[in-house]
Amino acid sequence: MLELNQITKCYKVKGVQKMILNNISFVFPRNDNIAIVGRNGSGKSTLMRILAGTEPADRGYVYRTQSVSWPLGFAGGFNGSMTGLENIRFVSRIYGQDTDRIIEYVADFADLGKSLRLPIRCYSNGMKARLAFGLSMAIDFKIYLIDEITAVGDENFKKKCRAVFRDKLDESRIVMVSHAANTIKEYCKSGLLLENGGVTYYPTIEELLDAYKRSNEI
Amino acid sequence: MKLASNVDLLRLQVRVLLALILRETRATFGTSSFGYIWAVATPTASVALLVYIFSSVNREPPFGPSLALFFATGILTLQFFNELSSKLLTAFDANRALLTYPVIKDVDTLIARAILVTMTYFLIYVIFFSSLAILGLANVPSLMEHVLLSFFATALLGFGMGATNAAVTSIWDTWRQIEKILTRPLFFLSGIFYVPSNLPPEVIAVLKWNPVLHLVEWFRNGFYPNYNSLILDRSYPIYLGLGLLLVGLGGERLFRKVRF
Repeated sequence: MLELNQITKCYKVKGVQKMILNNISFVFPRNDNIAIVGRNGSGKSTLMRILAGTEPADRGYVYRTQSVSWPLGFAGGFNGSMTGLENIRFVSRIYGQDTDRIIEYVADFADLGKSLRLPIRCYSNGMKARLAFGLSMAIDFKIYLIDEITAVGDENFKKKCRAVFRDKLDESRIVMVSHAANTIKEYCKSGLLLENGGVTYYPTIEELLDAYKRSNEI
Repeated sequence: MKLASNVDLLRLQVRVLLALILRETRATFGTSSFGYIWAVATPTASVALLVYIFSSVNREPPFGPSLALFFATGILTLQFFNELSSKLLTAFDANRALLTYPVIKDVDTLIARAILVTMTYFLIYVIFFSSLAILGLANVPSLMEHVLLSFFATALLGFGMGATNAAVTSIWDTWRQIEKILTRPLFFLSGIFYVPSNLPPEVIAVLKWNPVLHLVEWFRNGFYPNYNSLILDRSYPIYLGLGLLLVGLGGERLFRKVRF
């Protein structure tokens, strides 16, 4: 189970206070992949970080009874001066995984070849995303939090993502932030619209995208 | 609802700390496989240089058979304390990116750094004092247990100071500079190149507020068979260390939401 219970989050920068999430409660449906949509700055990434537990909410609780991944975004969490391999080893150690198995999986999935032995700062955004994605797929989480990451990568990589998700989806679910209607339609069944600090649940993607379109027009 | 058991949580904690220590080792000491040797060699060499300079300027050791030993007992204690205090100060900032992984918390990075610095300095102490012994400049400590206890008391005070520094820096960045200014005079105030008990009482009354001085005295009391310190109060640095640790960890918890 993944549940948000009366989550409130404000940011205060230079005396200006901005309410990002205002008293949000939501129980994520057990078997569906959920999309989260909203305009820029509406708090999607903040919500993902709170779901993962990387950032505390001001008030409220998150209940997690299953393993939840870290929020998979553009390569936060990699140390630029360390090589790809060293970063993989670090993450598999903190999650208590068999390091060799993880390295093998990621090497195969991310298809980075000899670049794995280079420091992360030499990687392009696409390469970093492939590494981050492969790494999280190598660890068996029950819920994957994906923040726009499938948008990067070439056709070949996207094909791989689709394949791995088909395998994973028997046991795992996705909570995904995306602006791309196609990606959302492909992976998710229902979704949340984040607007003015509140969330609205839409049981089908069509309704979600309609509502999102309307919110953009206002 | 199933909650993780205490054993699972402890296992997770150990796992995270080990991974962080390995990562810190790698990040601090560079790519070369000699990295850790450098980490030990650099402070050892700098202390050796200071010891050499002081022993060539001063002929008479203030206490005991050799000036090198006397000086080393003081400067190593101070350097160990300073290293913890300043390394932990930057721990939150330096490890910001790691917080992407929800299993890692700010306090973990603090503990990992403290362990790494303590292990490194333990090695430095062993190397330094055994080299002095081999050169005939030092004897075996007369009260080994007090030498060890004072080492761990230094670790505690340094950890407490460092945790407090980290917590204060997280809400007030200027503290970085202030910490440097505050710790600089410790070189002169910690009895490194003099015997504090021989100073006039008015001076002692002021100096005894410095906890590092007590740690130096404690170490010497254990090392020399007849170093009768008139100042030493073992409980002072320990209680202060515990107090600072409380302030540091409490501050971390209190300011956690402000940091993000």
